[in-house]
Amino acid sequence: MLLAYRTALASPRIRATAIEATEFPALADSLDVWAVPRIVVNGVPQWDGSVPERVFLDRILAPAFE
Amino acid sequence: MRELLDALERPVELLVAHGPEETPLPGARDIDFGAETERVVEEIASLSDKVSYRVEIEPAGAERYPAVLVLPEGEDVGIRYDGLPWGYELSSLLGAVLEAGRRTSSLSAESLERLARLDRDLAIDVFVTPT
Repeated sequence: MLLAYRTALASPRIRATAIEATEFPALADSLDVWAVPRIVVNGVPQWDGSVPERVFLDRILAPAFE
Repeated sequence: MRELLDALERPVELLVAHGPEETPLPGARDIDFGAETERVVEEIASLSDKVSYRVEIEPAGAERYPAVLVLPEGEDVGIRYDGLPWGYELSSLLGAVLEAGRRTSSLSAESLERLARLDRDLAIDVFVTPT
């Protein structure tokens, strides 16, 4: 979670939100959240689990989000 | 925790957003998530003069309620916690406050360089659970 917050602090283009899955079950269900942390970028589920900083950036900056 | 918060390099404001809440899970319906969130945030703010908080109904930038917006020097830079930050997830909110209180990023120079080249908007949602 902290990595996402750090990227939001570093870039005006990034917004980072932690969402408490059990409190918003309809949303969590719609995004097939069954393991946490689940990372969703621009509304599209991406991966589950913590990754190192470089990998986190590789993934969020991937061309798929262009 | 008090010492860590006192060491913040800039003040951080926590904005508690109240609004229409989703129906809680069965068994959790006795919990007033909004009131509890306010209580948690009030407690964090009471630990240090560097941290303040205020409460608003459906402020700009909030999508779900309750939510906490973390505002370094009162500015919305896109850091939120949606839901009641309790259990293990309290550390996510505290971590957000500590990061927001830094004047220099804790990311590597390489990462900052890559982020500076970002030419599109990204909304990163991280689903978490308190246990």
